Amino acid sequence: MTATYLDAPAATELILSAVETGEAVVVLVLMPPSAEAGGRIVIRRAPDGTLARVGGSGDDILDAALQDLARNAMEGAEDAQEGLHSLGADDGPEVRFFLEVHRPQPELLIVGAGHIAQPLCSVGALMGFRVRVLDDRPEFATRERFPEAEEVVRIDMADPFGQVPLTPETHVVLVTRGHKYDYACLRQLLSRDDDIQYIGMIGSRRRVRAAFTELVEEGFDRERIAKIRAPVGLDLRAETPAEIAVAVAAEIVLLWRGGSAQPLADQERILPRFFEAVEGVKTRDKD
Amino acid sequence: MIRTEDAALYRALDEKAKAGRPCALATVVATRGSTPRKVGAKMLVDPEEGLVGTVGGGCGEGEVLEAADEVLRTGVPQMVRIDLTKDFLSWDPAVCGGIMDVFVETIIKRATDE
Repeated sequence: MTATYLDAPAATELILSAVETGEAVVVLVLMPPSAEAGGRIVIRRAPDGTLARVGGSGDDILDAALQDLARNAMEGAEDAQEGLHSLGADDGPEVRFFLEVHRPQPELLIVGAGHIAQPLCSVGALMGFRVRVLDDRPEFATRERFPEAEEVVRIDMADPFGQVPLTPETHVVLVTRGHKYDYACLRQLLSRDDDIQYIGMIGSRRRVRAAFTELVEEGFDRERIAKIRAPVGLDLRAETPAEIAVAVAAEIVLLWRGGSAQPLADQERILPRFFEAVEGVKTRDKD
Repeated sequence: MIRTEDAALYRALDEKAKAGRPCALATVVATRGSTPRKVGAKMLVDPEEGLVGTVGGGCGEGEVLEAADEVLRTGVPQMVRIDLTKDFLSWDPAVCGGIMDVFVETIIKRATDE
């Protein structure tokens, strides 16, 4: 079979259309010394999870391996990061591909339009999220309170997510005004089959424990319950709504990027190390 | 998170390709140490209309532009290694301390020779 690699303009058209329709897309660029270096294979993932490949290497085994690599990349696997990947071709030496992932815009779904939702909406928009704010109270769910939001939706708490799409890009933060609302939302989220990127819930130790206890007693899958981040956010001793919003946003970045959440100064210890080195030299000079 | 600069570069690439402008695309495909841009950073080189995006500001961009020039003449893509570890103790702003591999290719629509 002959290879059917795409050229850069053809691949670019596919990327742009995928980004518009909210599909994740992986591009694999053939690298030198292959004669067809610069040739591309584009793999798109529809919102329902099915993969579609455009272009091919002409080798079924290699194409299948590339598709697996693309799937792993979309799921954020450690061994499928952006960068160079070597794969074995069926009839010859290894070939090298540059892999890049384009994800649709991440979504932040804030349930509860209260005082923490406002700065959280601003921070989310600043980070490039498409933000939606949901509340059942008409006086809170207003455009004026959330100018940066893509959408402010008045919902029925009996079916909080009935009117909004939940996708693998969705990050849900529950900042409702009470335990029973949190619980109603968590039940809905855990009852769905789709994988949601992030579920966080604000609350005191007592409130969080009560929600978890009820979910366990109702028989929800423990692994899925364990993925809920509650109480939400990093420990910054945040007090004001804006500080709390920053702590929540920091946790989302942390999980997205996989950091340590430690202050870089303590981790790198550049100045202490510098002094240690200087002291070391001085001690040796005296000897 | 979302790379809006990528979207802008792709739109520019799409426009230039449709207009038939010969351009080169440089992509950072691998890095080691401290580099100005991360893997995936791109720069579109249009010899007449200038640059879209950057692969490193002052750091090694000259070498990439030279490679782009050659790639545009020959049509053969290249892998360029940019070594920014030299002269580490100078105060030159171009000192970044790392190594980048940059893939440089033309984006002229390829002839369909099948």
